[in-house]
Amino acid sequence: MSTSALNVRRRRSFVTWVGAHSILIIACLLVVAPIYFLVLGSFKSVEEFFASPFGLPKSFGTDNYERAWTEASVGTTIKNSAIVTVSAVFISTVVSCLASYSIARLPLRGAMFWRLLFVGGLIVPVQLIMVAVFITMRWLGLLGSLGSLILTYSTFGIPLGVLVLVGFFQALPKELSEAATIDGASDFQTFRMVILPLSMAPILTVMILNGVWIWNDFFIALILSTKPSLETLPLGILNFFGVYSTEWGLIFASVVISALPVVALYLLMTRRFIAGMTAGSVKG
Amino acid sequence: MELNPNVPPSAGRGRRIATAIRRPRTQIWFLLPAVVLYGGFFILPTLASYWLAMYDWSGLGPLGDFIGFDNFRRVFEDQEFRRAALHNLWIFIALFVMTNTVSLFLAVLLDRKSWMRGPYRAIIFLPYILSPVVTGFIFEVLLSPNIGIVNPALDAIGLGSLQHTWLADPRTALPVIIIALAWQWNALATVIFMAGLQNVPPEMREAAITDGASPLGVFRHVTLPYLAPAFTVVNVLLAIFAFRAFDLVYVIGGAIGAPNGATLVMGTVIYGNAFGKGSFLDVTTRMSYAMAQGIVLFVILGLVAALLLVYLSRRERRVH
Repeated sequence: MSTSALNVRRRRSFVTWVGAHSILIIACLLVVAPIYFLVLGSFKSVEEFFASPFGLPKSFGTDNYERAWTEASVGTTIKNSAIVTVSAVFISTVVSCLASYSIARLPLRGAMFWRLLFVGGLIVPVQLIMVAVFITMRWLGLLGSLGSLILTYSTFGIPLGVLVLVGFFQALPKELSEAATIDGASDFQTFRMVILPLSMAPILTVMILNGVWIWNDFFIALILSTKPSLETLPLGILNFFGVYSTEWGLIFASVVISALPVVALYLLMTRRFIAGMTAGSVKG
Repeated sequence: MELNPNVPPSAGRGRRIATAIRRPRTQIWFLLPAVVLYGGFFILPTLASYWLAMYDWSGLGPLGDFIGFDNFRRVFEDQEFRRAALHNLWIFIALFVMTNTVSLFLAVLLDRKSWMRGPYRAIIFLPYILSPVVTGFIFEVLLSPNIGIVNPALDAIGLGSLQHTWLADPRTALPVIIIALAWQWNALATVIFMAGLQNVPPEMREAAITDGASPLGVFRHVTLPYLAPAFTVVNVLLAIFAFRAFDLVYVIGGAIGAPNGATLVMGTVIYGNAFGKGSFLDVTTRMSYAMAQGIVLFVILGLVAALLLVYLSRRERRVH
């Protein structure tokens, strides 16, 4: 190859390099700019919003955050969100782990049927069945307690759990559990001592996917939270916004608080999040 | 701790029977908790929806008259529902175009080796983990006529004439919602395409380059065929995302589809019928009718997803 051709190629690759990076940087700015605006806004007073829409706030005081905690009742709703998310993720994970293990490894009749039944839940529109869930909860007398939220979220987390975990358990070598059984371990002991320790990665994926979804969801809470003391964080923000739509600073601060735990977790474990999301979706 | 009485004690099967006797049938206990929860709060409500959809019932008080498929017939004559379904279709078409151009292009750019790849990827994926309330709120305030920054920004770059009350104008409200949905959806689409790109064997690309193929030729004849499964996944998920859209649309437009029904989608219409539109004007509920609409939505979604799946997997087989 002649030197001039090499130069042309080099120059061309430099132009592509600049082009590629500029496009990616623009894409990133489109993501970050609205979030930046949101975070800045959470420190502004109402007057500042009107006086300087682009400007920095005068101070980075925590005034809005403190008022959001009490006046926008973030203090209560964040507690509800935490209780509901932690309990539902726990229940859902335990239940789908056990079911997936029996579907994948134990001599279960109709394993394929159970698998399809659980995973099929992923395509049912939540809007369709929430009406009936509402009626069921009312009938059971659970309406008006956090229990109804926890039970519903736990149940709706099962399809994804079964989807991810059955595939994983089936890929584990059979010899592992057989060895334990020969040594006299019961099915449950085998599961707890041999299988579980090997399954932490997919279990964590399921916990992340369901945890993020439950923390962020407001639809199920919207239908089952029949009184203000049961509102979860997203629902509380939505309702506060509907009533006090001019208290911008408070709303900005509540929104930032609601996003903070998930974003922090995401920044700590970006790789696992992205891998988990693609695992959850590619198999679906 | 029970024996399976169905196993006949025949000769030659002694070993298996011995195992059956020794081992309690724990698999049932493993499955039971999931079956109870899922059966009680998922399967039963789903089946109940089909049954209740055949009644004339508001949701409160005793069950009304059995009216068979009348509710379903009404769904198809319902102007509001048809308009909402059309909005879902617009959302799907707009996002379909964006997914298979912008998201794909971003994924290809992100596939290049660079030390910035990690940060780019982390940022581009970020919108996916934000809640619909957060995303909806962000777009609502960006475009707000009071405190928004889009109007002042247009003014600053000399396009002041384009200033607009974006979310109060029926012509621009739905496009804004589509942009907000696109902002969030692009994250997942790009990441799935990226995962697909990692399946392209580098040798294939190198071989094509050595044979003198142009970058575009390599993309067309080497990369795209390997991406076929990713196309299937992305577009089927998109159909589900677009036709099931509720959260973000509800945050921005509410159950009435403000302004003036311009942002109604099937999800918000169903919600409005089941639980009232949330305004003082309309607190009547039509739960049975909402369930019929929910079933229609489910059928539409199933059809669209199945058609896409069949078409795209055929294409997958063709390119391989």
